[in-house]
Amino acid sequence: MVTLSNEPSAPRAIKRRNLGWLVGRRPALAVGVLLFAVLPLMANPYQVYVGNLALIYVILAVGLNILLGLAGQLSFANGALFGVGAYATGLLRLDAGLPFWLALPVGTAITVAIGLAVALPALRLRGLYLALATVAFAQFALWTFVHWDSVTHGTAGFVMAPVDFTALGLRTTTGIYYLSLVLAVLLVAAAYGIMRSRVGRALVALRESEVAAESIAVDITRTKIVAYTLTAVYAGVAGGLFAGLLNVVVPESFNLFQIVLQFCMVVVGGLGSIAGSAIAAVLLIVLQEGLRGMQDLQEIGLGLLLLGMLLFAPGGLVQALRRWLPGWTEPHSRGGDE
Amino acid sequence: MRTLTMTGLARMTGLASVAALSLMAAPAALAETGVTADTIVIGGMGGLTGPSAGLIIPQLNGVQAVFEEVNAAGGVHGRKIVYAKQDDECLPSRGVGAVKKLIHEEKPFMIVGGGCSNAAIAQKPEVIEAKIPWVIVASTADSLTEPVNPYVFTTMSAAWMEVYGQLQLALDQGKTRIAVVWQPDAWGKARLEPMKQAFKAKGIEPVSIQEIAVEPTDTTPTVLQIQATKPDAVLLLLFPKAAVPFLRDAYKVGLQPLMVGGSPLGEIDVLAKGVGSPDSVKNLRAVTAAGYGVDDPQVAKWKGIVEKRFGDRFNVLHMYGISAGQFAVEALKQAGPEPTREKILQIMSNLTVKTDTYAGPLECKPTDHQCHKALGIFAFQDGRVTGIGVTRPTR
Repeated sequence: MVTLSNEPSAPRAIKRRNLGWLVGRRPALAVGVLLFAVLPLMANPYQVYVGNLALIYVILAVGLNILLGLAGQLSFANGALFGVGAYATGLLRLDAGLPFWLALPVGTAITVAIGLAVALPALRLRGLYLALATVAFAQFALWTFVHWDSVTHGTAGFVMAPVDFTALGLRTTTGIYYLSLVLAVLLVAAAYGIMRSRVGRALVALRESEVAAESIAVDITRTKIVAYTLTAVYAGVAGGLFAGLLNVVVPESFNLFQIVLQFCMVVVGGLGSIAGSAIAAVLLIVLQEGLRGMQDLQEIGLGLLLLGMLLFAPGGLVQALRRWLPGWTEPHSRGGDE
Repeated sequence: MRTLTMTGLARMTGLASVAALSLMAAPAALAETGVTADTIVIGGMGGLTGPSAGLIIPQLNGVQAVFEEVNAAGGVHGRKIVYAKQDDECLPSRGVGAVKKLIHEEKPFMIVGGGCSNAAIAQKPEVIEAKIPWVIVASTADSLTEPVNPYVFTTMSAAWMEVYGQLQLALDQGKTRIAVVWQPDAWGKARLEPMKQAFKAKGIEPVSIQEIAVEPTDTTPTVLQIQATKPDAVLLLLFPKAAVPFLRDAYKVGLQPLMVGGSPLGEIDVLAKGVGSPDSVKNLRAVTAAGYGVDDPQVAKWKGIVEKRFGDRFNVLHMYGISAGQFAVEALKQAGPEPTREKILQIMSNLTVKTDTYAGPLECKPTDHQCHKALGIFAFQDGRVTGIGVTRPTR
């Protein structure tokens, strides 16, 4: 008898589901978290630093994916917002004398406020016009970092004292590392929560068609504001951690290459895939460090990688994983797993 | 089926983190890292790729040329020097990773490197935390060596020295109407403030302070603004990319007072080629860290070595590296056959070395780790860059 259904047979589906618990997204993420948790025990301080940088970029990439991948908003403002988060947290520590524990959330709140200021004009724009407006914002932010000397300390930037974790009995590098790990896990988990909620489905509806979304009672303005706000939260947290990791904030850290790197992470991972963004962030940071001393190769390589993924694997890494392994789908509803 | 919820994932991370933390032990102390029976590892970092590589690679090649010469002569107390370099791209964000990689993977005994100020500023806390002696090759920011830190020394002229030297040269020639042109980047800003202080210290006001872009295409409006103030000297806080269009436009409109640049403008012959006329630089003087012109007989030996070994065109940047390398080698020699970092630090704190490429000796004191005191003054005469004097700026 010929069956017209594409549904796998029941035993096959059960087998695939069980296999998914071994090789799927959840065990992969859990193993990843475990590896990151034990990294400081096994690695030298340089490797721990690279791990910390990767965690910060996981937060950034997952945050950008909410706006770019889920909501489909072509925004180039995330590099600048990352910078705003770093500057806000750093300056609150350096010039306002706030402790890091307070400076980080306040700095994130400032980033969100500025992110919303970007969102308001962006609400009226789409596609190419939105991209141009956000590029303009990124350039304006960079100009401000460089030229608003009295606040940002200009081109030379500023250096801060290391963040103090002695209350927890930790060295600065260890403290920042585990703080980054905990926040990365919480924010990735939160992204999954958002993705599976009504808000997440509204974001996807917005991405697919604004007209269709409006016809099913999705409030377009509100949804866009939510997307920009969420992304700014992630960028603000990542920026604050970045400032805490380096103890120095300078404008050139937030230039055009920053945007290219973040876009690469989202596209290589797979637009709309949180796991994909997290994996690509780690891979690209490790790749970037591996190619230290070969900057030309880094820039050309990133460009080629981006182009190659767009041409030949627009679904990103996660698409390949979904094709070959069970348990890698990321449903937009609770209980929608394989 | 049970799903891994947000709280579940967070709980798992928390447990993993606690488990990891409970297992953490204090790192064991290492004795004389980087020294073996027959080698001594010296680290170096700088922008080996990216836009600044053309400025940094010659500096580190200069250091390496010294080490290779020493090795060819049998090494220091029988140990060959291994020079391990890391690329920091001249970016603070990349510089921290570079110096961490250098310290924790290459494990050097000491560091001779650093070419860009912003990257070096970001790297300084890492070096201090690791307690590694650091000889800065060319990063000039005053904050790197002021206040004195026991681990950080510089064999390059500090930012304030050159600007004080530039102003003094103009005053020594009887100039009173002095203008300043600067480029708005970290390097330019690190010099503009000391320049203003230098004017204040001399009790005079600049007739004009003008800013031009780091890579301008046309500086005519700025040149005309300066010309309107009728200056008899213009102090240039510029790199060649800004200086060439400025000199070209100044020559074009007939602005030809005394012009005084710093170390980046030491290759006046290259500037003349860039502008297209030797006449455009006839009034240009450069107050630089280097003590000799590239064709001077005092540096002929090094010119031959560098050009043969690296295929570079020998220039003042190599001279910075050569002096830094010779300073480090002399410290290692004085430390004896069993060098320790503590011993090296003590020696460098009281070290005076006459190097082959600087006009005067490098002189370090416990209260002053800015060891380079005597700056060369250069002009373009008879088709070549010629040393015309030496200045020892003071505040």
